[in-house]
Amino acid sequence: MGDGAQLSTSLRRGTLEFCVLAMVELEDRYGTEIVRRLGEERGLAASEGTIYPLLSRLRRVGWLHSKWSESPSGPPRRYYSLTDDGRGALTHFRTEWVSFRQTVDRLVGTGTP
Amino acid sequence: MSSNKTDDAVSEYLHEVELRLAGLPLLQRRELLADLRAHIATERLERSANSEGEILEILERLGNPEEVAAAAYEEAGPQRATTRPAPVGAPARPRLLLGAVVIAVLIFAFLAVGLFVADRATNAPAQSVPAPVASP
Repeated sequence: MGDGAQLSTSLRRGTLEFCVLAMVELEDRYGTEIVRRLGEERGLAASEGTIYPLLSRLRRVGWLHSKWSESPSGPPRRYYSLTDDGRGALTHFRTEWVSFRQTVDRLVGTGTP
Repeated sequence: MSSNKTDDAVSEYLHEVELRLAGLPLLQRRELLADLRAHIATERLERSANSEGEILEILERLGNPEEVAAAAYEEAGPQRATTRPAPVGAPARPRLLLGAVVIAVLIFAFLAVGLFVADRATNAPAQSVPAPVASP
């Protein structure tokens, strides 16, 4: 693994899951939809397949709820929705993230002057 | 391209992932395989992917089985880490390292004992040889 990939992995750890929570904040979405959307962003997910284990963990810790549902045209879809705990976690992350980002910006010199 | 051949590529991919999930709880293993299977089926339908090339592209975006399985273990939590098997086809590095350390310690112990014995052996005659010579 190159230094670039290593850095992406480190930055992703602890932040990607909140991008997932935010995606289902306003409406339920099915797995492929979430995975496809995150896959479009450069450097966010290692590969599409690695998002499913993440969705599984978020469901196991009780931040996401999932439900298989028949699709009108095609294979069944697994829809994900945000639980109350998930909503709380996302709100908490937003506060933490802003202060964390400001601190890093200040120390690394990437903030707007 | 026949549908058999593309189905083979999908089955083979899922099998390759499954092979690497042996250390995970059964339900998590089944869940991931069901998610991947549904993902592939949905992608095929929504992108109208029928050729083998298009299917392979879907599988490529999913990532290689090694990478997907590694994510599954990582997300399974540290309590599962102890049951994690060595990746298929890759050496079990921690065990190799431990083996190397044990061998190094053994070699060191042998050398130390050997030197000690050799030291005694070379010193011993110096003290014991004069006695028989002086006796007659």
